[in-house]
Amino acid sequence: MLVASDRFGELEIEEDRVLQFDDGLLGFPEAKRFAMLDTHDTGVYFWLQSLDDPGLAFLSVVPWSFFPDYEPHLPEGEQASLGLRSASEAIVLCLLTVQRDQEAITANLLGPLVVNGTTRKGRQVVLAESGYPVRAPLAA
Amino acid sequence: MLVLTRRANQSIVIGHDVVVTVLEVRGDQVRLGIRAPREVTVHREEVYAEIQRENRQAAMRPDVPFDVRLPPVPPPPPRRSG
Repeated sequence: MLVASDRFGELEIEEDRVLQFDDGLLGFPEAKRFAMLDTHDTGVYFWLQSLDDPGLAFLSVVPWSFFPDYEPHLPEGEQASLGLRSASEAIVLCLLTVQRDQEAITANLLGPLVVNGTTRKGRQVVLAESGYPVRAPLAA
Repeated sequence: MLVLTRRANQSIVIGHDVVVTVLEVRGDQVRLGIRAPREVTVHREEVYAEIQRENRQAAMRPDVPFDVRLPPVPPPPPRRSG
């Protein structure tokens, strides 16, 4: 499918690279579909380009390269609504924030995006009691 | 906003299956009990607001430069079980 984006121009996206968030992201209830772009060819950093708003994109990271001890425990209800039967079915992405001076890049470990790798449906999960920060610096 | 007055041990029902009960009132603190189906997530508003705020910061509008310098990915640890 062809996707319009302000940042990347027109993109040809395979259907299986489209993630569906029925409730959107927190603060972005209308942003329900994102294309997952491996622009850095790392398998760790992914751009998430909104298919609903060409001007909206997020940078995200698969957290474990930087945070090997990260253990997001999904509330039972979240697990059920995602249809996840095992942890290995899940794709976990943490949104990155580039601080204004670009000196620091932080990952949101408190509200990870959890996606069922089979159905491609995902939710932004709130790990309320976890104590994980919204701004964990990415150490090189 | 709908405003209701409730006393301790009284409840309100939201929809058909969410029940919020006032358990205790002490000074300016109120303890609430919430019974909801497991697919309904219940959190303090502050946590939501914090993530919303961070999401807005994280949104890469086109005016944010493309060439973000991302830290190199560390090599995988020697061994990881699970």
